[in-house]
Amino acid sequence: MNKTSQLICAWCAIPFAIFFTIGIWPLAGFMPPLSPDLSALEIATIYRENTLPIRTGALIMMSTSGFMCAFLAVIAVQMRRIEGRFDVLTIAQISSGTVGVVAFIVATVAWTAAAFRPERSPELIQLLNDIGWIYFLMTFSTFVVQDFVVGFAILGDKNAEPIFPRWLGYYNLWVGVTFIPGGLLTFFKTGPFAWDGLFVWWVPFIVFFSWYVVMFVMLRRAIIAQSEQPLTS
Amino acid sequence: MSSVELPQAARIHLPGETGVWVFILGDMLMFALLFAVFIYYRSQDVGLFAGSQLTLNQTFGAFNTLLLLSSSWFVALGINAARKSLGKISARYFAATFCCALAFVVVKVFEYGEKFNAGIAITTNDFYMYYFMLTGIHLIHVVIGMGVLTFLWHTARSAELNEKNINVLESGASFWHMVDILWIVLFALFYLLR
Repeated sequence: MNKTSQLICAWCAIPFAIFFTIGIWPLAGFMPPLSPDLSALEIATIYRENTLPIRTGALIMMSTSGFMCAFLAVIAVQMRRIEGRFDVLTIAQISSGTVGVVAFIVATVAWTAAAFRPERSPELIQLLNDIGWIYFLMTFSTFVVQDFVVGFAILGDKNAEPIFPRWLGYYNLWVGVTFIPGGLLTFFKTGPFAWDGLFVWWVPFIVFFSWYVVMFVMLRRAIIAQSEQPLTS
Repeated sequence: MSSVELPQAARIHLPGETGVWVFILGDMLMFALLFAVFIYYRSQDVGLFAGSQLTLNQTFGAFNTLLLLSSSWFVALGINAARKSLGKISARYFAATFCCALAFVVVKVFEYGEKFNAGIAITTNDFYMYYFMLTGIHLIHVVIGMGVLTFLWHTARSAELNEKNINVLESGASFWHMVDILWIVLFALFYLLR
């Protein structure tokens, strides 16, 4: 088996988590997020005064988003060990995870477009900024599906030596549930359910990145265990 | 842990498998945050929250509480029957639990409908934002729970009731008890808190 390739793909989670956070936080200055309650002029001023950091931050976010694809692949390979030939949950994981990557990329494109010509009218900058944040945080359904199928696959493991511990399955279900409030940002500009609020930003952001770390640790363990089995190809 | 044999009385029986408690405790943590945020914002504008609370339909709320309390009782009876290897009876209790859950959803649909007809929506004010958000997230749990209950019903009816399967049943029942207890807190916070 290709232990090294799998480990490399699993390790992709770490540069993704670190560099994406650097891009969005110290560079772009999107932590906490730009409030949806700000006026067009206030948003435009932020983009005009921080053009270079926002452009650079978005570039870093874009550069690291691709790492997610490799990580999805290694989750899929380990899920396939659970499911066998008719690995429908594995395929659902790849497709939902991939669309999730697209949401990150489109968000980054929108922020880049806003910072690309900061001299244009404030309303347009606000519009692009809105599109970026909504793409980034409202696209919860694919992440919910991704976490749920990973969870169900782990809980349905019939192997004598399960690939993952069962608590990881329940953990994935829980992670999926915490993303559900994200969709409701459409109704609010202030408060805990607005896109800079506790339940749309802080909880999902922390849970999302901790999911990468937890999954990385457990995948690494599963890959090493797989390589120690005598009869796997 | 297995090397040290504890006396029977000192062992604590954790219902269900250990892993399910990762979900239950994590979910309760999430709801605890939601409750804390609600109480904080309520304290900032008690007048608005207390005033809006009067427009809630207490009858619907109380009836739903009764439904979920009964459902918890049924699910516990179902587990008891399963432990005595009475699979058919156990399955009937789980079906009764499911009916309570379904009735809860129907009542909630009428309750939401009544609000919408009165022109009240999630954007009306802060109280109704929390009301729709928290009861809505809870309702999603009830619907997920109905899936879990269907699974319990199926397991009790058709699977051999060995230790492993009873453990599975207990895991599902523990989830359902969580759905119930979260509603009881919601009911107190939204309908009763003065």
